[in-house]
Amino acid sequence: MGSEIKMKKTKKINETLPDGVLSLLSQSGRTKQDILYASATDLNTEGEFADGFLLLARDTLFVFKAEPNREKIHYYKGYGICEEQEREQEWIWKAYPLSDIKRLFIEMGVGCNLLVAEIGSEKLLLAMFTQLHKREIAHLVRGVEQLNAGEELDIPEDEAEYCPKCGNMYPDSSRKICPNCMDRRSIFFRVLGYFKPYRIKFAALILCTALTALLNLVWPYLNGTVLYDKILAKNEAFLQSIGVKNGEFLVALLLLVLAMAATKIVLLLLEILQGVLTAQMVVDVVRNMKKDVFRVMAKLSINFYRSRQTGGLMTRVMSDADRITGFFVDGGPYILVHGLTLLVTVIVMFGINPQMTVITILLLPVLVAVSVYLRPKIWVMFGRRHRAERSLNSGVNDNLVGARVVKSFGQEEREVNRFEKNNVQLRDAEIAITYRQNYFHFIYGAAQSIATIGVWVLGVWFLLGDARQDMNLGVLITFVGYVGQLQGPMNFFARVHNWWADSMNSAQRIFEIIDAVPQVQEPAHPKRLEKPEGNISLKGVTFGYEVNRPVLKNITVDIPAGSMFGIVGRSGAGKTTLVNLISRMYDPQEGSIKIDGINVKDLSFHELRKNVAMVSQDTYIFMGTVAENIAYGNREADIKEIMRAAKLAGAHEFIMRMPDAYDTRIGASGRELSGGERQRISIARAILANPKILILDEATASVDTETERVIQKSISYLVQGRTTISIAHRLSTLRDADYLVVIDNGEITERGTHEELKALKGTYYKLLELQTKALDREEKVF
Amino acid sequence: MNEDFALSQMEQETDQMLRIRYINNENAEFTRTGTGFLSLKIEDEFYPRVQVVRMFPFMHKDEFLSVRTPDERSKEIGIIEKLSDMAPETVAMLQEQLTLRYFTPTITKIFGIKDEYGYAYWDVMTNYGACRFTIQMGGNAVVHLSDTRILIIDIDENRFEIPDIMALSNSERKKLDLFL
Repeated sequence: MGSEIKMKKTKKINETLPDGVLSLLSQSGRTKQDILYASATDLNTEGEFADGFLLLARDTLFVFKAEPNREKIHYYKGYGICEEQEREQEWIWKAYPLSDIKRLFIEMGVGCNLLVAEIGSEKLLLAMFTQLHKREIAHLVRGVEQLNAGEELDIPEDEAEYCPKCGNMYPDSSRKICPNCMDRRSIFFRVLGYFKPYRIKFAALILCTALTALLNLVWPYLNGTVLYDKILAKNEAFLQSIGVKNGEFLVALLLLVLAMAATKIVLLLLEILQGVLTAQMVVDVVRNMKKDVFRVMAKLSINFYRSRQTGGLMTRVMSDADRITGFFVDGGPYILVHGLTLLVTVIVMFGINPQMTVITILLLPVLVAVSVYLRPKIWVMFGRRHRAERSLNSGVNDNLVGARVVKSFGQEEREVNRFEKNNVQLRDAEIAITYRQNYFHFIYGAAQSIATIGVWVLGVWFLLGDARQDMNLGVLITFVGYVGQLQGPMNFFARVHNWWADSMNSAQRIFEIIDAVPQVQEPAHPKRLEKPEGNISLKGVTFGYEVNRPVLKNITVDIPAGSMFGIVGRSGAGKTTLVNLISRMYDPQEGSIKIDGINVKDLSFHELRKNVAMVSQDTYIFMGTVAENIAYGNREADIKEIMRAAKLAGAHEFIMRMPDAYDTRIGASGRELSGGERQRISIARAILANPKILILDEATASVDTETERVIQKSISYLVQGRTTISIAHRLSTLRDADYLVVIDNGEITERGTHEELKALKGTYYKLLELQTKALDREEKVF
Repeated sequence: MNEDFALSQMEQETDQMLRIRYINNENAEFTRTGTGFLSLKIEDEFYPRVQVVRMFPFMHKDEFLSVRTPDERSKEIGIIEKLSDMAPETVAMLQEQLTLRYFTPTITKIFGIKDEYGYAYWDVMTNYGACRFTIQMGGNAVVHLSDTRILIIDIDENRFEIPDIMALSNSERKKLDLFL
């Protein structure tokens, strides 16, 4: 499966239309060239798989449908577009003149979608399709809109989703990196760069490992050949060669024991040295990598975080850094060492006895195969245990967080049962792992023993019978020692490739973040706001988080310095997006935003953020004291200024009620603040920053009426002498606004002063009525 | 526009949002529009096109159907408590509309699942024919609806369902091991 239908490059659908469709098309006097855009559909309106096509000509939309086809294999995304044999099919078709189509739209279902046309007063179901074709058909809908508006057809090219080299799908189509084909070598050398400052230590580490390998070769020789064949066999020539008097075999034995002990001690020392070197380097390299990543992440535009899951991103970066260095320290150097050990050992073994070496070399791959075949199965089980653990932990967490709800509904018993269910699953997973592991060890151990026994049997056979073989007991013991020596490197090489690929993948991800270019770029030669006044002008601003779906459409508005500007609209209408553009969290796709006549793109971030401050609906409290939090935007502020800002924000009183007052630690690990308290701290922050332009994004949304009044009051201090842009649900918040706009669906639908909008009797009026009425009622109740 | 009228209209809208109205054979009449959809006459109201949406698409798929207006700010017109209580012809019409909205092939056989570079490639037989699709590994692509029932969501958010994993053969279940 899978591999044999690896995809060719995506083909333009126009070129692959079946002959049956083309010949029918020619009946209406059209050819392939008349089709400007085409999309396939894959369902019929009875909800079965059936081929179909939507063809867009300059003035007509053609809809082709075939009978359901149960034999066809349906390829979804990931398998690409397949070359398949064309089948003769009966097609039925209909043509819809574009001028008749008032509106064409996609209606989203669950796992399927409908294409609906509004023709006259009727809504007509044109086609049904799975999610696979949704994107294409969305393009087609856009195309019809363009043609009907008399524009040229402009359909964006989709991003490539498959690697052109091997046909694999990119894990992330905006990354365009195929894990199968990526250049691991250049990444490797780049990672190596991180070890550069430690090259002496790194060299020492490699030397240590090489020495270890060498001494490991010596050990079997000492405890086999030397002990049995030279000393125990009372070999006089040997005594001479080491300079011991004839017959003094006890001295020789003593020397041997000393040599053996020395070998072991040196090995031990080398191991300690290795450990120390590793610890020093790894910690530093990991730290440097993380530092680089974090520095870049801080610079990146908000967009980067929108397109990735931030939490996952962070943990991934952290574990990625560990994984990379892990490979470089525990893996990389050993490639050399193990390779060398393997080679030298085999040569030495060959020197001792070629036949036995062949037997060994034949048996070792069996061991490796056992390990390669059985290990992944254990990993699957580890994965399962991990999942069981996770659901158990999240269950416990759920209960701790929701303890009050559990208790108040008296559901303790049920929660215990739910916990027990997860608990049992975890136990089963553990048992399965233990079982598997034992099984693995048994098989592996058995294979190992068979290999060793084979060598013994052959060796003893040589020893006893075959005189031509120069085989002594000591040699045999040495040989068996070497056989054991081989297993480590063999196993290492069996899995080193995966290890290397994994670590390069991690490195790739880290470098991708390090190399990411912020979408919102600071200008090279920023202009300065000499005497900031706070005039803001937006001209034809269009913006969308995704290219084809504008959230703001052609917004033009002038906000004079010193005025208060109110924005009203339903949630999701684009209000927050608009103010985010002014503070340059994003750049608009079309149009310009100017402050005092200077495009915000020409200002340095520092200059811009100094002059624009935002109090938003999600206030963030950093780890630190209350005073530090207030002074976040203005580090130089002195105590008096901080206190004054807190007073103006109406925060002073509640701060003073806390035992540690301004020195109270708040934020993630500190004291919890209520919504209103956080809001007031962030207002104090804005007051202290003293910007020319102040943005209040639902600044009073999460507080009660009384607190709102306090905040209102402080805001009225705050707005003096600055341009204020205020977004609010409650219109009472906006009663002081000089000018108001209503935003709906990304467009300004109403604009004017409070009085003007009221007279207009539109959305604003409706909202106003509704809220005053609700307020009236509230008053009656109290 | 009269101010009082506007207010009372708003009031009405709010009330409507709070009301539960059941649809039955007596108070409602569904008709095919001839363009692929359904229209509804209920009490003294007429809706040229209505949408049928399941309240419990997994657990009670033929009970508690919400009949709604199809526009973006869709509103509920009424609720059908049990599909089987409706007249047979109406049931057929409603089923057609449900078919237009829900498409979830049921997996009857698993030929293979290959896990490679962060994706799992599935090769399966479904009640609608053979399908090959791809899911993201490590995410929430496989949803456990119950101990034996799973929902699989591919990278485009197409859906597939295995109603009972115990009905699969041992070797097929082994292939699923990664996700259970």
